Amino acid sequence: MLVELERVSKRFSHNGASTEVLREVSFSVEEGEFVCLVGPSGCGKSTLISLIAGLESPSAGRVTVAGREVRGPGPDRVVVFQESALFPWLTVRKNVEFGLKMAGISPASRQRRAAEYLRLVHLSRFADAYPHQLSGGMKQRVAIARALAMDPKILLMDEPFGALDAQTRRLLHEELMGIWQKTGKTILFVTHNVREATVLGDTVLVVSARPGTIKKGFKIKLPRPRRESDPHLIVIQQRILLSLQEEIAKVVKDEGLEHLIPKTAAVAGADRDLGSSL
Amino acid sequence: MLGLVGRRLTDAEFLSALGGSLRRMVIGYGAVCAVGIGAGVVVGRTRWLNELFGTVAVAIHAMPGAVWVPLAVFFFGLSEAAVIFTIFLGAAGITMANTSNGIREVPPGLLRAAETMGARGPALFWHVTLPAAVPRIVDGLRLAWAFGWRALMAGELLIPSIKGMGRLLNEVARARQLDQLIAFMIIIAVVGVVVDYGFFRRLERGIAARWGLAG
Ligand SMILES: Nc1ncnc2c1ncn2[C@@H]1O[C@H](COP(=O)(O)OP(=O)(O)OP(=O)(O)O)[C@@H](O)[C@H]1O
Ligand SMILES: [Mg+2]
Repeated sequence: MLVELERVSKRFSHNGASTEVLREVSFSVEEGEFVCLVGPSGCGKSTLISLIAGLESPSAGRVTVAGREVRGPGPDRVVVFQESALFPWLTVRKNVEFGLKMAGISPASRQRRAAEYLRLVHLSRFADAYPHQLSGGMKQRVAIARALAMDPKILLMDEPFGALDAQTRRLLHEELMGIWQKTGKTILFVTHNVREATVLGDTVLVVSARPGTIKKGFKIKLPRPRRESDPHLIVIQQRILLSLQEEIAKVVKDEGLEHLIPKTAAVAGADRDLGSSL
Repeated sequence: MLGLVGRRLTDAEFLSALGGSLRRMVIGYGAVCAVGIGAGVVVGRTRWLNELFGTVAVAIHAMPGAVWVPLAVFFFGLSEAAVIFTIFLGAAGITMANTSNGIREVPPGLLRAAETMGARGPALFWHVTLPAAVPRIVDGLRLAWAFGWRALMAGELLIPSIKGMGRLLNEVARARQLDQLIAFMIIIAVVGVVVDYGFFRRLERGIAARWGLAG
């Protein structure tokens, strides 16, 4: 197993009050596997990513990557965030080179690697542009190239396409699939969107409402490229949605938002960003 | 009037006065940049200092530059050092406040991204925190130039023993030469505007374009 979480709990304390965000989360990710995490807003998905990235440390339990306990950030685990977090004062090329520079790699091989990964995301032409000159989708592709240039063991993606329109998102799904198949990277991908999770993942893990635990795991064996409208996929989507809906109902109840949910909405569409509107 | 301004600009006595003023400004402003940015960095990275100076900074901003002159004279006597100190006191606060705000307001997402790519400690500061704060720092430096220029004039007007634009203003006013007085005032305004537009606005526009900020 490349990534293993063993009974990982996380509490945040704020002004003396402490909230339990994750409770005894255990799961593992195989080398080369594409795992998607779905769950209601606030259930701790981003926290899970931070724990694996080493940006936060668990209150209890263990996170290991390639058999070694995570004790801080490391170049074997790079995160792609929803807001691409590109450095606005650096060109696209320099952004992609950033991690390599931090690692003390020589300028010549930095340039070579950056060019290689910009080609991979089809953005060679924009190497000298600044981030603000790019569209949202292009920025995310640069962020992916920047992460991959570090040659991490695992790519952690926290709703990387969450802010994009459906069309761009679909294009990026294809692009990401291509990259995954070409590089054989292990990917842990957080999303609100069940359809996105089923199109991309080998495994979809449903995280329960706070305190987050892994509620259920779904294996998806369908070959790729997958069509969103494949009937087999839709069956799986409906099962995931049912599981998810119970969790969203809990969040709604906890937060006193029942009146916002129409009574007729039994199972929402798979493409709705579940929980994101709460 | 323009002719008068032109004639003044070739007058040796005037030029040495202007040169003296500019020299004090350059020294004072240099100290403002070094100490203001340095202190701003320290304050921006130290929580309790930041809370402390947050309130003090507001009080310092509210202080007209001329108010610092007596304090400067108290320490340095009626000397050139007192004028330079006045510039320093008048402009260091705004530089420090903008620098520390800029440092504190670096988007946490950028820092997290940088950390996951192996940046930490001094490298994180040099390659992420500081460049991310540059637009705010430059904004502070531009204001500091304007504040410093005012403080310089206040200092020179109130300390007449020093050869500079302030003393010339006082002299022609006492001699009731209104045209000369206005010619000097125009020159002082023009120097301020030239530096502001010719240098700082351009710099800011360049930074805004590169950093992708509106404006
Ligand atoms: N640094 C922190 N300090 C205190 N509380 C935090 C911190 N980070 C996260 N939380 C809390 O932990 C809970 C889970 O947050 P997290 O961002 O992991 O949820 P999420 O599942 O990613 O939500 P979303 O789908 O909206 O992105 C939230 O209630 C949040 O307020
Ligand atoms: Mg999140």
